[in-house]
Amino acid sequence: MLQKKICMLGSFAVGKTSLVRRFVEGFYSDVYHTTVGVKIDKKDVQVNGTSVSMVLWDIYGEDDFQKIRWTYLRGASGYLLVADGTRKATFQKAFELEQRAREEAGAIPFVFVINKCDLLQDWEVDPEQEPQLAGKNWSVLRSSAKTGEGVEEAFSLLAKKMLG
Amino acid sequence: MPDLLEKFLAETGFALLEYRGNGAFLPIAGLPRWFQELWKEENSATIPLALCEKSAFLENFLYEAEEFWKAPGPLGCQSETWIEKSADGREIPLQARALLLNGKRVITIFSPSAAFREQVQTLQTARNALLDHERLAREIQKKEILLHCIVHDLSQPLSVMHVAMECLANESISERSKQFLTLGKLASDQQETMIRDILHTFSADLRASLDAGTQETSSTDLLECAQRTMTALGPTFDAKGVKLGLAAAADASAKWPVRAEASRLQRIFANLLENALRYTPSGARVTVGVEDEDAFLKAYIDDDGPGLPKDLRPEQIFGLFMKGKQSGGKAGLGLYFCRITVERWGGSIGCATRPGRGSRFWFRLPRAVSDGSAANATEGRHSEVAEGRPRQPVRPLRILFADDQKDIRTLTTYQLKRSGHKVTAANNGKEALQLFRKGKFDAVLLDQEMPGMTGDEVARAIRKSEAGKKARAFLVSSTGNTGPDDIRRLKEAGFDTVLGKPFRLEDLQTLLSSVGQAAPVFVEAQNAPLGGNINFADLVARVGGDEKLLKRMIALFQRDTPKRIAAIGAALRRKDAAGVASLAHALKGSVSIFGVETPRLHAQELQDFARAGDLAAAEGLFAALKEEIANLLENLRGYAHQTPARPASNRPSRPRPPRKRGRHRR
Repeated sequence: MLQKKICMLGSFAVGKTSLVRRFVEGFYSDVYHTTVGVKIDKKDVQVNGTSVSMVLWDIYGEDDFQKIRWTYLRGASGYLLVADGTRKATFQKAFELEQRAREEAGAIPFVFVINKCDLLQDWEVDPEQEPQLAGKNWSVLRSSAKTGEGVEEAFSLLAKKMLG
Repeated sequence: MPDLLEKFLAETGFALLEYRGNGAFLPIAGLPRWFQELWKEENSATIPLALCEKSAFLENFLYEAEEFWKAPGPLGCQSETWIEKSADGREIPLQARALLLNGKRVITIFSPSAAFREQVQTLQTARNALLDHERLAREIQKKEILLHCIVHDLSQPLSVMHVAMECLANESISERSKQFLTLGKLASDQQETMIRDILHTFSADLRASLDAGTQETSSTDLLECAQRTMTALGPTFDAKGVKLGLAAAADASAKWPVRAEASRLQRIFANLLENALRYTPSGARVTVGVEDEDAFLKAYIDDDGPGLPKDLRPEQIFGLFMKGKQSGGKAGLGLYFCRITVERWGGSIGCATRPGRGSRFWFRLPRAVSDGSAANATEGRHSEVAEGRPRQPVRPLRILFADDQKDIRTLTTYQLKRSGHKVTAANNGKEALQLFRKGKFDAVLLDQEMPGMTGDEVARAIRKSEAGKKARAFLVSSTGNTGPDDIRRLKEAGFDTVLGKPFRLEDLQTLLSSVGQAAPVFVEAQNAPLGGNINFADLVARVGGDEKLLKRMIALFQRDTPKRIAAIGAALRRKDAAGVASLAHALKGSVSIFGVETPRLHAQELQDFARAGDLAAAEGLFAALKEEIANLLENLRGYAHQTPARPASNRPSRPRPPRKRGRHRR
């Protein structure tokens, strides 16, 4: 079986762990538990008839307290870049992380996931109007780890991009 | 010795492994329980373990470890924490470290359970606090926007009244009419003060909750602020026959530095002095004093009034919306503002009945380390203007004026033209910018809240286009929001001055007299709204007696309003709440010129419902609004056939220098 390493990148409390949990276990908890360190999960999926074992590296969110160790991207086939639609600052962090990831790991496939679409009324950012997204040609998806909306699609899209 | 090592490793939970290459490790000693739980290996000293197949993290760490083994550095090679899951789902935190011992490549792995839990808890607390702060900041921002919208909407009709009153004041009117005009001015002055109090008080309150725990560090002279406020309020005290003086013990030659901001400190003094004046009978005295209390400096205001109400505790007096029963205040916000501001600066405030008679209101503030300057530059310039800076005679200017409210645009343009200026009016920010680029203007007066492009954005674009050029337009912002943060933001956008809405033509003339001066004056204009009920017969007077102008405005209203109504209906059908709010706002502005209350209120409510996203309620109200608008249009049709009495004079007056203002108006 083909094995692919995927990293979860984003600011703290954007829902990276919740997305992984929803994807792997089909479960969601409303309680916020901050991630310290790295958690690794696996899920086997079928992508265009190919069996793929996805090794998911849930890396702690970057902020002033924890800076990402970029060696974690070594060997990664792609990553999910996660922002929280209700917090504009997490977009800025996502743009910074994408730039760093490109410098450290080269142009590997990624999908930009704007999480918490169950709180759409509280979103501070309209991705279609976001000037920093204009012209980037990124794959952008909305998701909600809470409802499950867009979660399978995000991982599936990334897997397809990784397999070319 | 080997037994001792085994016991030590088992006790401390360390796994000690020698790396044999190709991802395989050989245990050097017995493996701890967590190792067995995770990787279920027999405790063998001879069979290498393929750990990299079991742990993706270790596989990754091995790259760093191998680099270290090749070239050992003094800092060693240690991993961050990672989490492995046991077969039963238990999460086990681990840390690894690469070592080079006697030439052997060694890795130790251990589970830092207690330390890890502590680390998680600390980080969780910090991040929860950050999230709470972000949430609070967002809430406050929303409330401030709402507050500014409310103030803007309240100020808008006052602007119309202002300009209309200016028109009226320039006409030949009877003594009786002048009395009515004075009454109207007084009432609208009071209303405007209340609007400003609401804005400043709630803005300060909201900010205070966000900035809780932080303190402003600017240094301001307590006594100097007191004296400045006393000078400004002197005429008001004189008018009531109340003596206002400084306590004999207050040493005016000494410095009284406190940690505060000058303009708000003066506002505190003004609120307390006005409160004292309200309760002090004619012929009695109000005394201001200051006292040194080591780490704090205290200010007090003694009055000769009846003392504090017996049914209220002193602390209740500083509560929100508290108004005295006798000689009641305005909105019940003045003392509340004093309390939240003083407490925000780390001080305290109180009051007590004085033995014998009267009451004392006091507050104490932390002493500033350095004496600093008593008032900031803006404040100094502000006083210069407000207290009677010699004005230059009005010279004709080329003025660009942008406001999306047609009635304000029409009336202000009319008034400026009467004053001899050449005025170009724009409907919105974009149009203003286009006009600015095409023409030459000495001054640009910009409304703040315009669709498409705000006044801020236009100002920035203008300043950008002026880069490298010698000519620089004098930019005036016309806005209802004139708090310190607003002023700072507008100044940053490139404005030379701010004219608070509703504004008086005289204020505008004062500001325009600064055009062409070497250093433009940055002031917050002091507003004085006009008031009074407008009935049908007053319409001509409201537009300066210019019947032709009025008919043109009515024709515009008749032409545009059905389109606006249809547009609101369409926006409601497509569930476009923002569109409904914007259209209702515009309709409200145009209706207000005719002084008819019901359709204006309906438009206001429609706007409120739309802003709140309650489109069901908005639809319900829309039918009533349509009916009211139909009635108004019908009445205006009737008016078109009337010939109102022509005022005594409707000729434009010649430009004349504005009157000098002898004192600071609030």
